[in-house]
Amino acid sequence: MPDTLAIKRISATPSAMIPLSSLRSSGPVYSKLVDISKCIGCKGCEVACKEWNDLKVEQTANFGSYQSHKDLSSNTWLLMRFNEVAVGDDDVDWLIKKDACLHCEDPGCLFACPAPGAIVQYQNGIVDFNQDQCIGCQYCVSGCPFDIPRFDKETKTVAKCNMCIDRVEAGLEPACVKTCPTNAIQWGLKEDMLALAEKKVETMQRRGFEHAALYNPGGVGGTHMMYVVPHGDRLEDYSLPAHPVASPMPLSGLNVLQRVGSYLLGFGVLGALGHLLAFGQESAEDSEGPGA
Amino acid sequence: MSPRLLPRFSFLERVVHWVVGVTFVVLLLTGLAFSYPSLFWLTMFVGGGPAARVLHPQVGALFGVGLLVMFLLWVKDMFLDALDKQWLGAVKHYAMHERDKVPPAGKYNAGQKMFFWLQSLLGVLFVVTGLLLWFPEYFGAGLLNTARLLHYVGALGGALLLIVHVYLGTVAYPGTARSMIDGKVTEAWARHHHPRWSGDRADG
Ligand code: HEM
Ligand code: SF4
Ligand code: SF4
Repeated sequence: MPDTLAIKRISATPSAMIPLSSLRSSGPVYSKLVDISKCIGCKGCEVACKEWNDLKVEQTANFGSYQSHKDLSSNTWLLMRFNEVAVGDDDVDWLIKKDACLHCEDPGCLFACPAPGAIVQYQNGIVDFNQDQCIGCQYCVSGCPFDIPRFDKETKTVAKCNMCIDRVEAGLEPACVKTCPTNAIQWGLKEDMLALAEKKVETMQRRGFEHAALYNPGGVGGTHMMYVVPHGDRLEDYSLPAHPVASPMPLSGLNVLQRVGSYLLGFGVLGALGHLLAFGQESAEDSEGPGA
Repeated sequence: MSPRLLPRFSFLERVVHWVVGVTFVVLLLTGLAFSYPSLFWLTMFVGGGPAARVLHPQVGALFGVGLLVMFLLWVKDMFLDALDKQWLGAVKHYAMHERDKVPPAGKYNAGQKMFFWLQSLLGVLFVVTGLLLWFPEYFGAGLLNTARLLHYVGALGGALLLIVHVYLGTVAYPGTARSMIDGKVTEAWARHHHPRWSGDRADG
């Protein structure tokens, strides 16, 4: 069924300041579910992402890893990070992370953005950047708890995964989901994905991964790309922050201060005016000339 | 008969002051646009959001240079002396236009000197935090977010100071503004506002 792309929040508008969950939601809400235990590291998703979104190919270089690129970029929205980590006493494991926008329910990028309309969150959970409204300040980059948006020096705008919003709007799954040969990436209603994740976690725990867990962090209101990780006690080894927060301290303080500041500035101007009315001008009472 | 005029600010001093003044106002307006979505339209004056984002730090660099030159030109006259400290204690009378109860000021009164020092201090804060925000790709998120907070604190302080400064320099004390336009003041103005300086000038 095609989606209507109803809007939930727009950057630098009042909708960006309403505390979460008090916003009404209507229509289907989607999520990806990434089961890292099923990933075989083929990187088909990376290719599908580049192809569907028509992203420029970047020269890669061997830097001693199976990973394709060193980092995300404005033209690489999806990167499978091959974290090589010691597991147990004598084993090494790839704790692969599908590094891309998590489409937070409370998007720190959107809260940090000063340009009206540059970041839009849809009712269906997708957070998308509108490059034509972006002013290139990169506040979203430092506002994102997952270090996702990347600045393009040529266009002076930022870019990131848009969850293949054009496909979703047409009732299709995102390109990476479509491509994944092992179903390690799945797509559906968020409630269905949560139920599926629960079953996966149970199965893993039964098989001896006692710390298997779902990654859907509450500090950002949950995400619309969730992970099931076999080693839930080692989130940092997957490059997943254990406690991400949508608007952490310096930024939340800034918000309060800006509100206080707007009153101070207003009172400052009124105060000067009031002083003028109360005390008038003080001229140099000179007899030597007018207006002096 | 036209009043006797005393030279107060040289051409160079006036140019530097207005470089600082004009750049600061441009920075304030574009900065407010980035801070308050309801004021984002202010970016129109410089050609829209992306242009404002490009211009703000460039104008900021000019402001920084101007402020530095202004600091070097004026710092020698800005140290507080004993009478200035008494002046600060009598600031209430100064504000209420009870000039007879205020110790006489030199070339600058203690309030102007404090303004000078505060703006210079804020200038350092602006430049340091502004440089971080200008080149964010070299710094971490926590540092950048802290820089945003401090940059705003500086702007708020600078804006509040500016309101007082412009009010006193233009409306409150007629005859002051021309010192920054043609560089001259009347002798009566000097006697009234800066008696110790006018004495130097007239006698020496
Ligand atoms: C944009 C509006 C501004 C106006 C209308 C204005 C006006 C004036 C005037 C009339 C004076 C001369 C005072 C006197 O003769 O004693 C002055 C001095 C001065 N201005 Fe400004 N100014 C402005 C902006 C600024 C800014 C943005 C700064 C610094 C950040 C600044 C720093 C100073 C300093 C340090 C002095 C000398 C000390 C003092 O008079 O307080 N001005 N200004
Ligand atoms: S992961 Fe980062 S870029 Fe994506 S929605 Fe969350 S805050 Fe925004
Ligand atoms: S870089 Fe663009 S999208 Fe990011 S915060 Fe700035 S204006 Fe918003």
